[in-house]
Amino acid sequence: MNAIRFQNVSKIYRRSHLGRVTETTGLSGLDLDIQKGEVFGLLGLNGSGKTTAIKLLMGLHHPTKGEVETLGRRASDVEVLARIGYAPEAAYLNKTLTGRENLRLFAALSRIPRAEIEGRVAEMLDKVGLGKAMDQRLSEYSKGMLQRASLAQALIHDPELVILDEPVTGLDPLAIKEVRVLILWLKSKGKTVLFSSHDISEVERVCDRIGILSGGRLVKVMKQDEWRGKPDALETAFAAAVVRTDGVGSIRME
Amino acid sequence: MKGRWLAVAAALFALALFAGSRMRRLHEPRFPPLGELKAGPFAFQDAGLAAAGFRAPAADLAWIQLLQYAAGSLPEYTDHPGHPYEHLGTLSLRVSRLDPSFHRAVLFSAGMLAWFHGIERPDEAAELLNEGMRRSPDQPMYALYLAALAYKKQGDTDRMIALLESSFDQPETPSTMKAILANLRQSRGEYREALVLWARILDSERDRSEHARARAKISELKSLLAKPAPKKR
Amino acid sequence: MQTISAVFAYTFKEHIRHKAWLSAALFGLVLLGGAIIVSALGADERARLLLDLGLAAIEAISLVSVVFLTVSLILVEIESRAIYLILTHPVRRSDYLLGRFLGTVAAVAVGMAVMAAMHLGLLTLYGWWEPLRYLAALACVLGKTAVMGALSLLLSLALTSEAAAMAFAVFLWMLGHFSSEMRFLADRSGSAFLKTALVAFSHAAPDFAHFNYRDFWHQAAPGAEWLMWAGVYALAYSAACLALSVQLFDQKEF
Repeated sequence: MNAIRFQNVSKIYRRSHLGRVTETTGLSGLDLDIQKGEVFGLLGLNGSGKTTAIKLLMGLHHPTKGEVETLGRRASDVEVLARIGYAPEAAYLNKTLTGRENLRLFAALSRIPRAEIEGRVAEMLDKVGLGKAMDQRLSEYSKGMLQRASLAQALIHDPELVILDEPVTGLDPLAIKEVRVLILWLKSKGKTVLFSSHDISEVERVCDRIGILSGGRLVKVMKQDEWRGKPDALETAFAAAVVRTDGVGSIRME
Repeated sequence: MKGRWLAVAAALFALALFAGSRMRRLHEPRFPPLGELKAGPFAFQDAGLAAAGFRAPAADLAWIQLLQYAAGSLPEYTDHPGHPYEHLGTLSLRVSRLDPSFHRAVLFSAGMLAWFHGIERPDEAAELLNEGMRRSPDQPMYALYLAALAYKKQGDTDRMIALLESSFDQPETPSTMKAILANLRQSRGEYREALVLWARILDSERDRSEHARARAKISELKSLLAKPAPKKR
Repeated sequence: MQTISAVFAYTFKEHIRHKAWLSAALFGLVLLGGAIIVSALGADERARLLLDLGLAAIEAISLVSVVFLTVSLILVEIESRAIYLILTHPVRRSDYLLGRFLGTVAAVAVGMAVMAAMHLGLLTLYGWWEPLRYLAALACVLGKTAVMGALSLLLSLALTSEAAAMAFAVFLWMLGHFSSEMRFLADRSGSAFLKTALVAFSHAAPDFAHFNYRDFWHQAAPGAEWLMWAGVYALAYSAACLALSVQLFDQKEF
């Protein structure tokens, strides 16, 4: 069964400034099915459409064309969000709250019964290593601590589908390893995981399948057996598939 | 259902309009139109506060400025030689235009013009009272003061004082007017009556601004009463 | 309901912990202090002056606070992207807006209650004790505050600029106090277009002129039925603005 389904999805951004309308393609004709229990990696350069695809899944954007489904329901249906955990590329948390208050908020928003909230919050903060800092304001947290708090809010309601946008970008090697362990743990629990990344080596270590996005199009889908045991296979495929669309030339040091 | 919330908004707005019309039917504030506010040194202050919905505070500030003028310390309004308190009427009408329920401003000025020692301008006082009555026909104090003025013109001081004293405890009676009445009694040699009036002023929390004077007057009157009484005028 | 109360609670905490709220409350107390000093000049009208100026100070501070807070209420969360995490939970956008709005009005109401308690205490010292009328006036101030808050929120979403929303809110505040004048002018106007425009404006702008209990209670104070309709007016007008805000907010992408 599909956990995620994109059916011929396009997203065009229209911006108007002083009466002049400009259009940018975020995604173009995306068709993609992700199976339940699968770990799927979205690879692509900046501006390739990874975040757009995730925002469409989370209902933050509406598709210009096509249908997006998550867990068998339309992505715009808020009810389905109770079964999804999402951590964006940076910890966009309200810094006036403490770690505990922040997680309490997301537990309530995720419709965890009131009686269970306190216990679940303490347990989750312990799991992400913030047990001792739970009563500190988020404004006093380091970047790594904020990232953990962000992960905690994505997992507090024990979601079936976990979506992580650039989860390892900007993290130190130790933290990257912890995220890898987390993804594998989620897989072992039968969860579906979709994550986006630039980091080919991380993707090839944990994913069952990957999709390569370039200029808003899905240019290639690969299975684990296409790169496992074949050094540089994924990197080579990636380099061959993507085209720079940001107008930046390559570095030449001849 | 893209327009669902628009329909909800329209229904709620219709309810608000209905409630607004009920509100207006049940109570219409009686403020003169802003166009009636006169130009003058305080026009900007008055119009600004009234436009922002602060008419009562604007009237309060105008009242303070009226008192400052009466005390001779309002630089925007100075009297010409020989015309003491010539702007008293203008300044009290300013208060009244901002808030017609501020009856005390007009009564204070009319009282000063008609009965304050050494002013003696009853015609101006009557004009002011008539204007107050026109604005607030339900307020009985204007008619009472006009009747007292009529007695004054007839020289019937006894009935004038009796009438004014009948309103002594009315909430609209200015403290200054009470003091004027007590002084009037004293000037007629009626020390006992004057003493009673000062004592009533001292008892009234509202007349706190006259309390210091009341204490002094009471001790003065007590010492006068201790001496043999002078003949009545 | 749980989601509304969760959004309400974090919004309330956010405002109460914000330095601007504390500054506004302190400024309100300074204004109250000013009212005491100014009222000392009012001779036998001291209680009236203290009453009027105190209530005016409470209203002015509440108004400034609510406009300042609501114009940035959503825009700041969009800018900081904190909204991503809220809306990717099972939270209807209408619930989010309602929780944010109610949390803000509650924070302003708490400030108002603190100032009012001090003000009423001072009035008692000066021999004025009409708590029911005072409460009625305070309820009307709260009603105006709620209407202005909802209007500012709507403007901020429609104009997507805090400064423009603030300027329009102040303009509508002024216009609201001219509703009687506008109807008066419409009656006198010979031009059908002008008459229609004035009547339309007088109805569309909030009718603060008739809501100004604090300002006209020295005249005959209206009774309980009036207060009930005033309450219905404030609720319905605020709710209409919120419904329009939801209509705009539903179409927004983040």
